[in-house]
Amino acid sequence: MEETPQHCLSRLPDNSALKQQELPAHRLYFTARRVLFVFFTTGIFCLCMGIILILSARSTQEIEINYTRICANCAKLRENASNFDKECTCSIPFYLSGKMMGNVYMYYKLYGFYQNLYRYVRSRSNRQLVGKDVKAVEDCAPFKMSDNKTPIVPCGAIANSMFNDTIILSHNINSSVQIKVPMLKSGLTWWTDKYVKFQNPSSKNLADEFRGTTKPPNWPKPIYDLDKKDPRNNGFLNDDFIVWMRAAAFPTFKKLYGRLNRTHHFIEGLPAGNYSFNITYNFPVTRFQGEKSVVLSTLTWCGGNSLFLGLAYTVTGAITWLASFAMMAIHITLKNKQMSFFHQ
Amino acid sequence: MILFQETNLKFKMSLEITDQYLQREDTLATFDGLVECEEPNNRLDKFTGTLFWRNTSFPLDADKILLRGCVIRNTDFCHGLVIFAGADTKIMKNSGKTRFKRTKIDYLMNYMVYTIFVVLSLLSAGLAIGHAYWEAQVGNYSWYLYDGEDFTPSYRGFLNFWGYIIVLNTMVPISLYVSVEVIRLGQSHFINWDLQMYYAEKDTPAKARTTTLNEQLGQIHYIFSDKTGTLTQNIMTFKKCCINGQIYGDHRDASQHNHNKIEQVDFSWNTYADGKLAFYDHYLIEQIQSGKEPEVRQFFFLLAVCHTVMVDRIDGQLNYQAASPDEGALVNAARNFGFAFLARTQNTITISELGTERTYNVLAILDFNSDRKRMSIIVRTPEGNIRLYCKGADTVIYERLHRMNPTKQETQDALDIFANETLRTLCLCYKEIEEKEFAQWNKKFMAASVASTNRDEALDKVYEEIEKDLILLGATAIEDKLQDGVPETISKLAKADIKIWVLTGDKKETAENIGFACELLTEDTTICYGEDINSLLHARMENQRNRGGVYAKFAPPVQERFFPPGGNRALIITGSWLNEILLEKKTKRSKILKLKFPRTEEERRMRTQSKRRLEAKKEQQQKNFVDLACECSAVICCRVTPKQKAMVVDLVKRYKKAITLAIGDGANDVNMIKTAHIGVGISGQEGMQAVMSSDYSFAQFRYLQRLLLVHGRWSYIRMCKFLRYFFYKNFAFTLVHFWYSFFNGYSAQTAYEDWFITLYNVLYSSLPVLLMGLLDQDVSDKLSLRFPGLYIVGQRDLLFNYKRFFVSLLHGVLTSMILFFIPLGAYLQTVGQDGEAPSDYQSFAVTIASALVITVNFQIGLDTSYWTFVNAFSIFGSIALYFGIMFDFHSAGIHVLFPSIFQFTGTASNALRQPYIWLTIILTVAVCLLPVVAIRFLSMTIWPSESDKIQKHRKRLKAEEQWQRRQQVFRRGVSSRRSAYAFSHQRGYADLISSGRSIRKKRSPLDAIVADGTAEYRRTGDS
Repeated sequence: MEETPQHCLSRLPDNSALKQQELPAHRLYFTARRVLFVFFTTGIFCLCMGIILILSARSTQEIEINYTRICANCAKLRENASNFDKECTCSIPFYLSGKMMGNVYMYYKLYGFYQNLYRYVRSRSNRQLVGKDVKAVEDCAPFKMSDNKTPIVPCGAIANSMFNDTIILSHNINSSVQIKVPMLKSGLTWWTDKYVKFQNPSSKNLADEFRGTTKPPNWPKPIYDLDKKDPRNNGFLNDDFIVWMRAAAFPTFKKLYGRLNRTHHFIEGLPAGNYSFNITYNFPVTRFQGEKSVVLSTLTWCGGNSLFLGLAYTVTGAITWLASFAMMAIHITLKNKQMSFFHQ
Repeated sequence: MILFQETNLKFKMSLEITDQYLQREDTLATFDGLVECEEPNNRLDKFTGTLFWRNTSFPLDADKILLRGCVIRNTDFCHGLVIFAGADTKIMKNSGKTRFKRTKIDYLMNYMVYTIFVVLSLLSAGLAIGHAYWEAQVGNYSWYLYDGEDFTPSYRGFLNFWGYIIVLNTMVPISLYVSVEVIRLGQSHFINWDLQMYYAEKDTPAKARTTTLNEQLGQIHYIFSDKTGTLTQNIMTFKKCCINGQIYGDHRDASQHNHNKIEQVDFSWNTYADGKLAFYDHYLIEQIQSGKEPEVRQFFFLLAVCHTVMVDRIDGQLNYQAASPDEGALVNAARNFGFAFLARTQNTITISELGTERTYNVLAILDFNSDRKRMSIIVRTPEGNIRLYCKGADTVIYERLHRMNPTKQETQDALDIFANETLRTLCLCYKEIEEKEFAQWNKKFMAASVASTNRDEALDKVYEEIEKDLILLGATAIEDKLQDGVPETISKLAKADIKIWVLTGDKKETAENIGFACELLTEDTTICYGEDINSLLHARMENQRNRGGVYAKFAPPVQERFFPPGGNRALIITGSWLNEILLEKKTKRSKILKLKFPRTEEERRMRTQSKRRLEAKKEQQQKNFVDLACECSAVICCRVTPKQKAMVVDLVKRYKKAITLAIGDGANDVNMIKTAHIGVGISGQEGMQAVMSSDYSFAQFRYLQRLLLVHGRWSYIRMCKFLRYFFYKNFAFTLVHFWYSFFNGYSAQTAYEDWFITLYNVLYSSLPVLLMGLLDQDVSDKLSLRFPGLYIVGQRDLLFNYKRFFVSLLHGVLTSMILFFIPLGAYLQTVGQDGEAPSDYQSFAVTIASALVITVNFQIGLDTSYWTFVNAFSIFGSIALYFGIMFDFHSAGIHVLFPSIFQFTGTASNALRQPYIWLTIILTVAVCLLPVVAIRFLSMTIWPSESDKIQKHRKRLKAEEQWQRRQQVFRRGVSSRRSAYAFSHQRGYADLISSGRSIRKKRSPLDAIVADGTAEYRRTGDS
């Protein structure tokens, strides 16, 4: 080649690795060894994980009592909206065969309640709930304003349909002595909800702050009267309210109602014996074929009493192992055939 | 005059009468002639017309008109009359339509987007119906859903249809088009930057002039190549000659001894020599100077006198301007050998014969045309003799030789030898003419040259009368040098199953020779000529007519072959044959028919019917021809016009539905370049016209293999992978909404946070796939070139077609199912670690979104076969970015500022604190990806593709290559020593080489790469 002076080649492209497409790189190729290694280790991991998850899920205890049918007369009463002011209570006795150790949590569970419905989920005002402007109701259709044009607090469909049964758990030590099981109504929410997302306008006098607003149509009492006993659990900071406002993902869902206060008699958990739920039945569900139940449950590191993940892991692990054996077999039988490629 | 920056001059001369009388402007103003001429057409070399003026008619022909686009040389000014303007000019008639080119994948992609649109509306409609049903069954009775509106369930369903159209619209990849363009732009830059397509001698890098066609480069089926300037360098050099039966031009010294190494002939004794001619036969010089054989001097005298070359002097240097490069080469050779053509007037010609200047009277020039294939000149010597000198193709000259020619046989042998060396040959001869004979002939000549009708034929006949009984002088051999690396490129492309058609305006013989020279034709190729296959085509037509008349196309197509299978076949046809076979002439007849006005309805119907039949027949005929031609491994079309070139390309495009590429360098290739799917221009000798209308351009034909086999293939694979992944990714993302709708009353509730939906396509999943589309390489460029068979995937559309598309969609659907149902199962029962907020919507959304982002990013990792650090960075970066942005958007501070915009406060920190959710994410990702790995591994093991095999043996191949390269380096060193050291005035690289340092480090330095390529081709060219 003739020596061409470098400075003449004005249009010479750069000789950089990127421009010449020669960036240093690792070429990904699925070799048998790598693939089988990945499959074997994943298989082992999944099997182990599955067994651990199943074991820990089995170590929890859970009792669920569906009270829709047990309290049928109350349910019937609530089907007619005009009976809203009639109180209806219902007592459900049950026997706890083994004691529930550790922290016990009480949930209410709804079936067939679509809290995730698009127009329902959106019907809330976060600006209002954060306490900056209690009259900010723009996102809350159809529960923005009452008939006389005062803004509703808390506005929106979610708040309006808040679960309002009261559930009291009693321990029947014998036929005459009933102790009310102490339940904590605090610490039911995420820290961020209680301290960021939901804020009262000011904590001095709630009733003043909410002047000029009205309660949601379904509510019997205004927001600042939710918990008469504990003033700190009032207004937007009411734990039950916050729990309800965190919409569920599916039409069947549990929501935390209370934690066992481990004092005196219940210091180790719930002892075995006769119990009863005393329920004030306010929340109508039968019209839309919904159901309600109460759940008592203990927890482990991986949450509640759900076998799904453990089983899924076990099955995945087993299939991965089977697959890796199958692939190994195929690889070995075909190996010799491949070797002949470049000797044609 | 120069047409479109072609370098050859053509004579143009006005009518004598107008030249004489119309010199002043006032006379011009009173000019009242009438021109009657042909209709506008596209024949550049023909024109017939008559000027009627002052009761006389003057014939007009192509020599008397200037075409649009010409450049006038050697003339200061001229007056003219416009005959055709605008779209009627010949150049405009010749230029094909410029169409907007799009790739096959573009069309496919559009259809796929339509398909997705249909899927989208079907899904939305289905879900809308579901919602209407749900409202009727459940929603209407749910007091908590009361929204104050009294809509019927079906109206709510209808509203929800639009809701779902909006929610699911991410299925339609809107960002796809932008991303595709970005990738194409990147590919184009890679082509521009490629050092191995950079031609250092002319400082020309390759250039992708369009950025929209790159992946089509990986799908080429047919290449249509021009010959001159594309396959060859278009530099003619005088190589050899045969004078009086004696061959000159080998390496010989003055005493006729052959030497292998001999220095060039020194022409310094000749003041007119240009010093550029490389000639090694010293004996010929000896012969010229001694004058022992008068024929030798006669031979060069003929070359100096018999031509139509123009001369001008620039700084005292002679500068020839020839109508064809061949002619220029011959005149130049004569000048170097001592017979310099100095000047020409209208009827004299001045020659310096070994230093003495003599002027000859030119009595007549019998010009060259393609039918005559020869030209003659009749001169009167200063002594008063009249002589005719003639040069022309051997076939026509031999018919006109005098019976008594002693060297006939020897010259014939010499011609065969020259032809075998793929040299272009011409025969030279002369004859003495008696004064009386000439006077007689001259009269006829004068009469013929003013004939108003059929002047050309009349002239040809007159010429014929004088060009007979010629005495053979000898033959010349001119080399039209092939470009470097042409045979290698052609054989590589042939191995990649690309069919190459050479379309050239050259003669059949030349074209055939070049075909052999560039190994398009080999000894074991059966060559079929147009005349041979006429019968085949006719037989096929008969068959088809018998089977169902012209409506045969409605019958099931019969796939029969014209030739028995096997064997290497090539087809050589001419432009005129093409015209004939493709029934171009018959349309003319039908046009004449149309001129008669149809009288009755019956007649009109008959006529349209017959026209339609004719049309169908024409179509059938064309299809048959294309089928036949495509059975041949190579096709050479010679003597084709620019329009015909485009027509041939169009035929293949139309009937074969294959991707075509046209490559050429001259203005006559513009049409073809525009017609083909991809046009490539060679920026070479013949100006920029071809380059301007091309899609890609570079300086050498051999770069075509790199453009197609490396860049084209990579672009195709990248684009296919990119598209497949893109559809997959959007389906996996969007269909989660679909599965979720079964659990939320079909209410168009989204499964993700709004912000995530907004950012998914932009930030979380776009960069890795873009980088893969830009950088991925399944095998290296060297291996792509070494195994041209790898190219076939693109031709057969194997990597992206409807099947592949649906497979990606299915993959996306399955992924979305896994992404939804595993978290669903995990969430149905569970509660949080602290008992709080079990199965809440926001945590669920975050879980699926995290699993999705990890899955799709790992999936692109699996799809990327060339992992650079950029890829790694982008993949892990995207995942990190997702988590970073999510934690920011879910932070407390931003919620306090914008409570209604950022609603997911605390979700990320609370949900991702739970081991349970992490376990769900891990399981989901594993279940999504493991089957992919397994299937890919199995398909590679059981049905390995060509590229899989090569990747598998990559290491071995690399080692082999290095070993071969070392061998080459060794050999090259030996062969180049002879020339390199003999002429080198500079210090060489001897020190560096002997020290053993830096000879082949990981990346070779710049000049090594450039030199590497060139030297390699040089070497193969030499051998």
